[in-house]
Amino acid sequence: MMIDSKHETIMGGNEAIARGALEAGIGFCASYPGTPSTEITTILQRLAEEYDIYVEWSVNEKVALEAAAGASWAGVPSICPMKSLGLNVASDFLLNLNLSGTGTGGLVIVVCDDPRGHSSSNEQDSRFYAKAAQIPLLEPSTYQEAKDIVPFALKLSQEYEVPVLVRSTTRLSHSRGLVTKGDIPKREWKAGSLKDGLFNVPAPHFKHRDILNKMEQISKTYDESKWNTQPVEKELDVLIISSGISRRYSQEAIHLLDSKDIGILNLVTTYPLPRRSVVAALKKTKIVLFSEEIDPFVEDEVRSLAVELDNIPEFHGKRSGAIPAYGEMTTDVMRGAIAILKNIKLDKRKKIDSDILVPRPLTFCAGCTHRNFYWAVRKVRKRIGGKLVVAGDIGCYSLGVFYDRAMTTMQAMGSGIGVATGLGQLERFGFDSKVLAVAGDSTFFHACIPGLINAKHKNSNLTFVILDNATTAMTGFQTHPGALHQESNQKRVKIEEIIKAIEPEFYARGDANNIPELIDLLYSTITKDGLKVLLLDSICVLEEARREAIVKETSFRIDKELCKGEKCLICVSDFACPAISWDKTMDHPIILDQLCVQCGACVAVCPHDAIKEERVQ
Amino acid sequence: MRAPFNILVAGVGGQGNLVCGRVLADASAQTGLRPVVGDTFGASRRGGSVLTHLRIGKTDWAPLIPMGEVDILLGLEPLEALRAALEFAGNRTVAIISQTKIPIVDVNNEKYEYPALEKIIDSLNKLCKQVIVLDAEETLTRIGSMKMLNSYILGAMGALTQSPLPLKIIRESLQSIFGASSANIVAFDEGAKLVH
Repeated sequence: MMIDSKHETIMGGNEAIARGALEAGIGFCASYPGTPSTEITTILQRLAEEYDIYVEWSVNEKVALEAAAGASWAGVPSICPMKSLGLNVASDFLLNLNLSGTGTGGLVIVVCDDPRGHSSSNEQDSRFYAKAAQIPLLEPSTYQEAKDIVPFALKLSQEYEVPVLVRSTTRLSHSRGLVTKGDIPKREWKAGSLKDGLFNVPAPHFKHRDILNKMEQISKTYDESKWNTQPVEKELDVLIISSGISRRYSQEAIHLLDSKDIGILNLVTTYPLPRRSVVAALKKTKIVLFSEEIDPFVEDEVRSLAVELDNIPEFHGKRSGAIPAYGEMTTDVMRGAIAILKNIKLDKRKKIDSDILVPRPLTFCAGCTHRNFYWAVRKVRKRIGGKLVVAGDIGCYSLGVFYDRAMTTMQAMGSGIGVATGLGQLERFGFDSKVLAVAGDSTFFHACIPGLINAKHKNSNLTFVILDNATTAMTGFQTHPGALHQESNQKRVKIEEIIKAIEPEFYARGDANNIPELIDLLYSTITKDGLKVLLLDSICVLEEARREAIVKETSFRIDKELCKGEKCLICVSDFACPAISWDKTMDHPIILDQLCVQCGACVAVCPHDAIKEERVQ
Repeated sequence: MRAPFNILVAGVGGQGNLVCGRVLADASAQTGLRPVVGDTFGASRRGGSVLTHLRIGKTDWAPLIPMGEVDILLGLEPLEALRAALEFAGNRTVAIISQTKIPIVDVNNEKYEYPALEKIIDSLNKLCKQVIVLDAEETLTRIGSMKMLNSYILGAMGALTQSPLPLKIIRESLQSIFGASSANIVAFDEGAKLVH
């Protein structure tokens, strides 16, 4: 959203980062989608033609970072946005790139962490990668800073030839405020030849020494920069040291408590610590409270710096228990912590009985074929006496963990097939469950191919199912190598051809729209021995609706004569399509026409043939 | 106007929470105020709860409303309005709630029963200063569909004396998104009539 008001524009945090990339003069962007980082690349891709920049959705974050490093070495300013877990994937390369150095182009990595794991399989603080790699870290705390930090980060990278990490969190990336735009510079760079010595051997320890020296210099650059905000007060009861969006929560908590003698040192340049600035602020107070998201990262750095001081203040934060060491930061968390330190009594909010509040569970969309697949899994699991382990993966189909626990494990991109290759070796130790691994199409390309090859090579006994809806549905339909709809200059890579090249013992293609066939195919496949692969043609209804207006030619009705009502409930409670609801007054299920997409899956699910298709006039 | 003025929009993925946030943020900026909008929409596309936090003031505030600090709660769905009120409503909260339910999906055979509307409104009355319940179904079905509930409820809010933003400016912001001839504008005007 870009709405101009006087000279300011309403921008989301991610939008501001994308704008900052343009104002920095970025020429190359490589990324893999992941909430809450996706919009940065989506926006740059939309503007790629207009600003003559190259933007790609890479196959995974490691490839994205490698591609961006290549561009940087050739002199092209590069940016590589990703989510927290993406940096884990890219970290192998990052912990080599830091020593080799980036090129004259410069390279900015943006990582968006997800405190509370709103859209993530874990809660992780990615700032530790800055420490592990010994690279500079920057944490914008406002929408304006989110934009302005990118040109600074790129300059820093160009000057010191190190990758620079910019860290955002969900609430900055996914909230919006007013930003003053800057100019987009005229292009002054050109891709050229690579310098010598872009490797770390035979003496990586000297490269390590060099980067440590650079970091000493960068701490001084940080001290001289305008990014960090010192408290104006000369003496303070409590000094809050904040970073990122926590700055706003801290300011608001002080405002709500109307508390005096509290000041904030806000750090944007959080690693290496701007030591002089921090020491100057510490000298003003006897009590320090840390305000940051996820782990006590700045807290630990400041605590270890303070050891060298004559008068060490009292420290409160995630280490002391004053602030919870998990979950999101909020104004309420800060208000509570300040109230305890300052001995302020907070008004109790009235509590009322919330017995009637029921959860709204997450489930697959109406018409999503993932539901059909898990329905088949549940049927097959029952048929073989429950002895079926489903090693799952990351995507919309991860919701299988909530769907009658149809999915047994779910960790990282590609880990389903990896875990399954191990489980598929355990018969010799008495393991008696069938092993099924599940992944989506985008995840298949991202991280499943090595696991699949390992399974073939080691003769692992498992079934690998790929739910192929031909798009990256979870994050908003980005293209990937196997996607049905490709950009004009990109070539499709067919999943089927990759599977065939690996030569599993059994391979078949199935239709996820046909539940009876799906159950039979799944059953006959998992009862075979060796490596079996099923490629299921699946449908994302949202993707379809996005591309064409869906014409409703049929509608579905429940036949009250045939329906067994409350004695059965299979369609309402077991299959659990959002378009089928229980009507208490009529005492039988109804199909909600507003939500139904006429996939017809429920017809096969009803054991009493009570769901009927009718032509719409 | 009290600063920051806090508006919380509660609904289910697909109901148009985010559009409410966009419209109100634009209207705030047009009024010369500084809006901050925070959206919580983790996996909302898959039918989950969605909250939009709007902070309006002369400076930028945090992206989430503190507990108890909501001035206006816009409930696009009764159960979601209650969920939001339990966490964020306080003694100055005025709640405008659509009474049309969106059923919950019974995933694991847990047999959750959607609470009776009267019970939800009872609880909301205990949590808020004032509760206004809207029956939008007939009007919106006539105009187009329940998809315009977000515009309708914005109209109702704009007509309230407590609204920090003029009705006319909210309407202009809505027009800038949907166009002047959109049925959403009709829905907005119907909503505004209701509170007058």
